[in-house]
Amino acid sequence: MTDYATDYSPGEMIVTAGARQLENNKVIFAGTGLPMVGITLAQLTNGPGIIPVFEAGAVGPTLDRGLPLSVGDSRTTSRANFIQGLNSAFELTQRGFIDIGFIGGAEIDPYGNLNSTMIGNFPENYMKPVVRLPGSGGAGDMSCSCTYTILIVQHELRRFVEKLQYCTSIGHMDGSKDARKKAGLQGKGPKWVITTKALMGFDDETKRMKILATMPGETVESVQAVTGFDLMVDADVYEFAPPSKEEIRLIRDVIDPTQIFCKR
Amino acid sequence: MLWTGLSPDEARTYIEQKDKSKRDKRMTMTEAVQTFVKDGDNIGVGGFVNSRQPVAIAHEIIRQGRKDLILSFQSAGLVPDYLLGAMALKPDHLSVQRMEFAYCGHEYAGTSSMLRYMTENEKIFIEDWTNFSMSARFKAGAMGVPFLPIRSGLGGDIEKCNRSQTIQCPFSQRNILLIPACHPDVGILHVQEADIYGNCRIKGQTFTCPEIAMASKNVIVTCDKLIDHEIIAMDPTRTSIPFFAVDAVVELPFGSYPTVCHDIHYYDKIHLEHFKGLTDAFRKGDRDSLAAYYDAYIYGVADTDQFIDKIPYNQLKYARQTESRNLELQTHLTPPIA
Repeated sequence: MTDYATDYSPGEMIVTAGARQLENNKVIFAGTGLPMVGITLAQLTNGPGIIPVFEAGAVGPTLDRGLPLSVGDSRTTSRANFIQGLNSAFELTQRGFIDIGFIGGAEIDPYGNLNSTMIGNFPENYMKPVVRLPGSGGAGDMSCSCTYTILIVQHELRRFVEKLQYCTSIGHMDGSKDARKKAGLQGKGPKWVITTKALMGFDDETKRMKILATMPGETVESVQAVTGFDLMVDADVYEFAPPSKEEIRLIRDVIDPTQIFCKR
Repeated sequence: MLWTGLSPDEARTYIEQKDKSKRDKRMTMTEAVQTFVKDGDNIGVGGFVNSRQPVAIAHEIIRQGRKDLILSFQSAGLVPDYLLGAMALKPDHLSVQRMEFAYCGHEYAGTSSMLRYMTENEKIFIEDWTNFSMSARFKAGAMGVPFLPIRSGLGGDIEKCNRSQTIQCPFSQRNILLIPACHPDVGILHVQEADIYGNCRIKGQTFTCPEIAMASKNVIVTCDKLIDHEIIAMDPTRTSIPFFAVDAVVELPFGSYPTVCHDIHYYDKIHLEHFKGLTDAFRKGDRDSLAAYYDAYIYGVADTDQFIDKIPYNQLKYARQTESRNLELQTHLTPPIA
């Protein structure tokens, strides 16, 4: 019988959910922040053989110098197996060595396309956006060439939109059959979306977002209420188990003791 | 086709006629920037986000002032923020006309307020790329080919706002993205070690520094440590950049401070977040605090020695002590207080 925690933050729930979705011995392209915490948690629990790769060049490190603040941080190289640069890391994604990539964005649409470039009218106001976001970084590349991607987005009405203002990272495009393949892409696209409200997947036929599980305390209705498009609901929708006391202990005491990314 | 920086033919011709002799290339920072950075130049910025950013070179460019610069990089934080901040304060002294990049921000420390200020007020021309497409653009330049095919950016909006082109591959018949080479007028890089001829040793991730060095017309390198040429010659497989690609070598300990320099020092989070906070305040209307920073740390000092002199010793020490050590050893350290 698992001993579940009763006191945990939304960030800790996301990290736990991300970690539990990861299969052992897979190669994971890690972004800054919560994904890094999730990968480390998975390594300490269900996935001791998980191999992190950082886009700035480090392959297979063990993060024993503390959580990196950047994917180019020297800490990402700790006990690494191989270190080169960005070209080398993205060549790995193209070659098929990267099983899963974690990506995020400011906006997401029903097909898992993401915007991390700009808020405003595109293309008319590309040079004068209402809000300029940092840009793709490696997310656009990961969305194309990692075998699968897992998307982590804050679950808010203004972020879950039917139509993006700009498409930075490519999901299932317009949802049409073989859309990604026809575009020239190799990776299979988004597999899961993890938020503070739900774990979602994509319908096999329509490629639209589908609720697989609700996070503790949430319902299908409460998730739909903060989503700007109609979500499909899986026939076997279930309530996701909260973090265990052990998972919370690992996050707080071992992985992120100074709360760089995982606020309590 | 618009080639910002050099066209492939111009880049090739320049290297053909360049003096490739193995000679002492040590210079002062002032000389290096005076000699190799001109108005209108496309500058290839080394490092990655706030790792090994060529901060000292950027400070000197700001002190000397240049007009209509183009910045090319994959992901960067502090260097574009310093240059854009200088432009926001004194556009007649320093200006950036265009940026070609994938990411401008500070990861854990948040988005770039200077990028927001410049774009949201339509003060610069922007061309978005991805980390791989920008990296591959430098690689194409380094390889001496006008473009490379990559499998990114197909089907999104990024390819609609840059000079890439989607074609059908003549061999596989599948769509593929062609990205044009980037040949900066000047590459600005910070490395851990170099010899007097310009042979560079990069420790940890190389980012795209070797590609930028080989693609650029001229290259300025700052190094934390100048090492004997004999050390390079004893183990040349460790050389990341060969001497004839480099035009100026400036020995400058802490040349990438307050960003992280692998094996030398970690971030100075206090200084980095202080500057970042001032840029946030600027975007919200407080011009004076940012101007005071530039007066104190850039215009008010002659060089990087004097800039580093202004950083409290306990911050420098903590940045050194937190680099390359495990968590257990780090727990015995006392973090400085901002």
